[in-house]
Amino acid sequence: METTYQMKGYTLHLIPTKKFKTMTVSLRLQNTLTKETTTMRTLLTFVLIAATKKLSSTKKLAMYLDDNYGARLSSHIGTKGQSQIINVNSSFVNERYLPQNDSLLINQIQLLSDLFYDPFIHNNAFDEKIVEQKKKELKERLQVNKDDKFSYSLDKLFEYMGHDDVLGISSTGYEEDIEIITAKDLYQYLLKCINEDEKHLYVVGDIDESIVNVFQRYLQFPENQIEYSSSYIFQSKKKDKVEMIEKQDITQSKLNIGYQINCDFLSKQHYAMTVFNAIFGGFSQSRLFKVVREENSLCYYVSSSYDAFNGIMIVNAGIDSKDYDKALKLISEQLQDIQNGHLEDSEIQITKGLLENALKKTNDDAGSMIALSYNRDITHKKETNDEYIQKILNVSKEEIIQVSQQIQLDTIFFLTGKEFNGNN
Amino acid sequence: METIKYDTLQESLFYEEMDNGLKVYLLPKLGFSKTYGLFSTKFGAIDTTFIPLNENEMINVPDGIAHFLEHKMFEMQDGDASDKFAALGASTNAFTSSSRTAYLFNTTSHELECTELLLDFVQDIYLTDETVEKEKGIINQEIGMYDDDPDWRCYFGSIQNLYQKHPVKIDIAGTVETVNEINKEVLEKCYRTFYHPSNMMLFIVGNIDVQETMERIRQNQEKKKFHNESDIQRFKHEEPLEIDKKYEVLKMDVVMPKVIVSMKINDILIDVNHKLKRELAMNLLLDLLFAKSSPLYEKWIDEGLINSSFSANFTQERDYCFLQIGGDTFEPERLKSKIIELIQTMKDYQISEIDFERVKKKNIGVLISVFNSPEGIANLFSRYYFEGHIIFDLIDTLSHLTLEDMEELKPLFQENLTSTFIVTSK
Repeated sequence: METTYQMKGYTLHLIPTKKFKTMTVSLRLQNTLTKETTTMRTLLTFVLIAATKKLSSTKKLAMYLDDNYGARLSSHIGTKGQSQIINVNSSFVNERYLPQNDSLLINQIQLLSDLFYDPFIHNNAFDEKIVEQKKKELKERLQVNKDDKFSYSLDKLFEYMGHDDVLGISSTGYEEDIEIITAKDLYQYLLKCINEDEKHLYVVGDIDESIVNVFQRYLQFPENQIEYSSSYIFQSKKKDKVEMIEKQDITQSKLNIGYQINCDFLSKQHYAMTVFNAIFGGFSQSRLFKVVREENSLCYYVSSSYDAFNGIMIVNAGIDSKDYDKALKLISEQLQDIQNGHLEDSEIQITKGLLENALKKTNDDAGSMIALSYNRDITHKKETNDEYIQKILNVSKEEIIQVSQQIQLDTIFFLTGKEFNGNN
Repeated sequence: METIKYDTLQESLFYEEMDNGLKVYLLPKLGFSKTYGLFSTKFGAIDTTFIPLNENEMINVPDGIAHFLEHKMFEMQDGDASDKFAALGASTNAFTSSSRTAYLFNTTSHELECTELLLDFVQDIYLTDETVEKEKGIINQEIGMYDDDPDWRCYFGSIQNLYQKHPVKIDIAGTVETVNEINKEVLEKCYRTFYHPSNMMLFIVGNIDVQETMERIRQNQEKKKFHNESDIQRFKHEEPLEIDKKYEVLKMDVVMPKVIVSMKINDILIDVNHKLKRELAMNLLLDLLFAKSSPLYEKWIDEGLINSSFSANFTQERDYCFLQIGGDTFEPERLKSKIIELIQTMKDYQISEIDFERVKKKNIGVLISVFNSPEGIANLFSRYYFEGHIIFDLIDTLSHLTLEDMEELKPLFQENLTSTFIVTSK
């Protein structure tokens, strides 16, 4: 079971288990998601793990990781509602599966510490060459995301739906804001993160309490009392629903719909919403899959997802441009049907079973275990997995219908082919 | 039932061949909540010309039929297999590759029922003309989705251009035209020929009791009748040595161009151990040449030629074998020339003992990590199984590779067998 230690400047969470062949260490840094800092913060996740003073190039760092039996060091940026999170992850083989006993664990903790306290800098600035390379890489990454029509159309939905709101802020930065960032700015920003971000560190693997001393020795951060909010309920400032259509030279059209739901991770109705979403479009047993795909053959994929930290629900489907109206109609009919109370006990039962299965599975994957704990840790929600399952199982039919009645269509974004002519 | 113990990984694998020819492997994973079952047949997108069961002549079936059949297998006379798994709290899925089709479930309860259900839905077929027609709309949307995916187009295009005749050039889902040709009769013909237990393998990994699970599988199989096992006759394609197309540019609605240089390898190994050695050695060589720790990667990053999407991959299955090298770049032509230049000079490439040992360590670590995840283990197991290997042996083979094994790879690099595929903006 997980144990928690308050360290200097961060919370250490230990999840001891012998079932994995590797150890996983994950450090998460939280700060407010803003339009002004999102690009800087994203760029930092690239530059942070590119080198340290001792391993002063991507090549040297990669060779070091190779020598540590293919230890992995990765970083990525994500959001949790109003917060933007830098994740730094390291995983490496448990020494008992190796021919000789190398001290991989100490090596990785030392490396993690070096990323923050012994970075490759000159005169209070990150290495110029590395920063320029990573700026180019970030630009190209954003470009590739746009070329992926699925992720492009989803980003567009958030942009329109969350106009002038935190929902509309890109979680991976803006191309036009990359150029002006200097190596000095970025290093100053790292220092700011060291001082101000809220930090949680997770270790999953074959460990015991003695590891706390190791962390005490190798890794400390300045203490701060700043609290960042994460989960919130999205409320639209628009009067009417928005429908946006964009044409590109593509074969398959992408339909994306955003809904206001008046519920988030911290709401009482969170559990009912979770069950509702699963019935509506969360699994391949769900209504949308059955009706839009199986009965009407309109698509290969269609699903709904409940974004609990932004307090919204999303539906997306890949369809033929000519089926736009039909797909919209089928999706809204299914929503109305549940809102009108048409819900079988058997579909509720089956869905709860699938949710229970999905949750139990997270115990078999270190990354999922950490992700689940983190959601609770940053919202100070005290709940075990068993309690969560119990709450899901306790959700009543009435509660599902009630929460479904709060759901309101907010924005449609349709990315379609050049041949599409209007929705009439 | 046989037990095979693997000391390095501290795992025990259990094996039994059923009377009907079905091979069953069980891997209990202590402490795991999840159980993952994978039922695979050696029938993939490349199996389009063969002698159907109880017939005498080769027939040609429409491209994409293995994948189409995979979609339709979930339909049972008394309902949908996914719904039945859902009723057990489990989820199910399937996938088709060039050389195999696999059906799976994953669950945290009712493991025995799920195992039987997996066997039952795959070992029976229920099709009607109407349901076959209905599936075409869904599959055509799947094809459309891949058509818009620049990475897939570049990846697959670079394979297609290497082969003149070999069906590895067939897109896994087929095309809208070939999908339309598919009907109930031809699906049933494929099913009868390739879904015989002797052409299939069941792998269950996770929270299982070995004795109980094997017994349930035995009983399940004894109840069923299958026709006698017969050798499947697949057409042997006479693939010319030369590649099909040297160079192709595809214009799409994208901004970021990408390039893959692919290289055909005509020297197909027969001996399975030799084949495995070659694959593992090639992975080491590609790391030495192109991984982040290589001098070349550093140089090309410095020159702005590549970014972290750059990669090199080796594929070796059944009777085809090729390399793919490339990634996203704003200078596809220049990157292409650099890769080809390297291929031309491979015969002089020198490997130091230190670098060799380093990438070996890395690859051993990566392989050990696979054994963290039931899905990872099952998928890798199935992939290697049909090539004649048990994945638990990979680490040993890898550890025993020598610099001489690496030398053998150099002659495979031949500029005249390379092809370039570029995706660029309109």
